[in-house]
Amino acid sequence: METPETPDEELVARTQAGDARAFDQLVVRFSPRLYGLVYNMTSNHEDTNDLLQDIFAKAYRSIKGFQGKSSFYTWMHSIAVNMAINFLKKRNRRMTMSLDDVDNGIANDPEFIEATSDYDPRHQANLGELQKKLNEAMMKLSDEHRTVVTMFDIQGMPHAEIAKILKISDGTVRSRLFYAHRQLQNYLQEFITT
Amino acid sequence: MTPEEQISKLLRLKRYEQPRPGYFEDFLQEFQARQRAELIRRPLWEIAWDRLVSLAPAIQVPRLAYATIVALAVAASAVIIVRPGAPVSSGTLAANRSTLSLTSPHSVTIGESVPVTLTSTGSPSVHYVLPTRPVSYASSRSF
Repeated sequence: METPETPDEELVARTQAGDARAFDQLVVRFSPRLYGLVYNMTSNHEDTNDLLQDIFAKAYRSIKGFQGKSSFYTWMHSIAVNMAINFLKKRNRRMTMSLDDVDNGIANDPEFIEATSDYDPRHQANLGELQKKLNEAMMKLSDEHRTVVTMFDIQGMPHAEIAKILKISDGTVRSRLFYAHRQLQNYLQEFITT
Repeated sequence: MTPEEQISKLLRLKRYEQPRPGYFEDFLQEFQARQRAELIRRPLWEIAWDRLVSLAPAIQVPRLAYATIVALAVAASAVIIVRPGAPVSSGTLAANRSTLSLTSPHSVTIGESVPVTLTSTGSPSVHYVLPTRPVSYASSRSF
């Protein structure tokens, strides 16, 4: 059994040497994070599940070519983002939302309490409605803008890491975030107090 | 709080959207099953090639042997495709036909040195049309 401390590099090296169990450990380690990335880009659980399978299958096929020039984390995220963006281009307007349940912990989150308490009481704000509105607003963004918002605001990645994964400059990341936030302010006006 | 900060806070709430409990355990099993299924679906030649490559170190095949085999195969293919001295294709002949006319477009009499055609290589080749039979062709016994 692997300890959680086994470094990614060691698991990668063992996978490259033909140890499929080492790759399983990488799947366990990376799937929750990559799930969040793809799910927030697609707003669809089934699409996310299929894509995630494809992403890990591609990573497994290509891992012999991974030379460690970037971290395995960056390499995996690059594969995931590129495949998700390609998928979104193909999916185009056929999309339907299929949202995951919201964890019960949100009810105690001060940010949630604050967001819903400021909400216009005539709309009977509730969790489901907020979730739907947030996802609808996200899906109105362009794929590129949604990607940076997902990585920065939802996943909490630093600008430099996003720039490395997307192979764009730090300035481009910041500018995409600025425009995306401005658009989201328009879509989510009812939740914002001025 | 600025609107920008409020947007960031709202977006952070999306972290609470999670797949059902046990999803990630099932995901790994699904991934392993899919990997096995892909192995079964792989074409025979791909499996044979992988086995050959994995056997190579055991049978001490030098690494350069593969490159040599590939280079020989490419060279052999090139020889087959471009055979030296092979007959020119009919298409090439048809293209050259216009320049290889045996008859002159206009006759000239002997003494004139007007080239009437070009060779297939483009270099001028002088032909003459004789108005009568040359004297040398006449029989010496005729009087």
